[in-house]
Amino acid sequence: MNSPLIEIRITENALVPHEPVANGSGAVVDFSGIVRGEEHGQPIRALEYQAYQPMAERQIERLIHELLAEFPCTSVRVSHRVGVIQVGECAIALQVAALHRGPAFSFATAFMDRLKQEVPIWKVKAIPSTPA
Amino acid sequence: MKVKFFAHLQTFTGCDGIDIPVSQKITPDELWAALEKKFPGILHYKTPTRLARNFVYADTDSVFHDGDEIALIPPVSGG
Repeated sequence: MNSPLIEIRITENALVPHEPVANGSGAVVDFSGIVRGEEHGQPIRALEYQAYQPMAERQIERLIHELLAEFPCTSVRVSHRVGVIQVGECAIALQVAALHRGPAFSFATAFMDRLKQEVPIWKVKAIPSTPA
Repeated sequence: MKVKFFAHLQTFTGCDGIDIPVSQKITPDELWAALEKKFPGILHYKTPTRLARNFVYADTDSVFHDGDEIALIPPVSGG
C-alpha cells in the first residue's frame, strides 16, 4: 500500500466537507462533530474552543500514525475549528478512507476517543442563549 | 524558559504565559513550586494538569531547561 495521505488542519474558519477521495479506496467514513444546543443541561448558542495549536497538530499526527499501525487506511483528513462556533456548526470533521469498511470505522472511532483524551484542544466557554 | 497556560488556567493566572529564568535545569515539581510562588493556589490544579515540553507530553522524570517551551495542559475537551 502507498503511504497514506494525511491532512491536519486547525482553523478559525468555518469547516467545509472534505473532498471525496479518489485513491481506489472501497470505504470512506466521514464524521462531523456538531455543536449542540445545550451544555451541561443549559441552552447555549455557541461554544468557544481553544487549541495549543503547534502541539495539537503534532499530537494529532502522532495519533494518526499510531492508529494506522493498527487500522491500515489509505487517507486521513482531520479539520478542527477553534474560536466561537455557533450551535449547528461543525467543530471537527474527520474523513477516513480504507480499502474496506472495517478499518475505516475502527480508525474513526478510536481516533475520536483518543483525540478527546490527548489532544490539547479545549471547550473554554459555553455562550448561553439569550432570552427571546 | 517560557511557560504557557490554557483554558481555565489562563483565567486563574490572568495571562497566557510567563517567562521563568532557569539557570540550568528544573524538575516538574520545582516548576510547580515556582509557579505556586507567582500564582498562589495554582497547585490546586496540579493533579489533573499534564505538563508538555516542546509540544510533547512530559512525565515525572522529565527535566526542563532554559529555552524550553513548557505548557500546562488541563484536561482536554476537543472534538
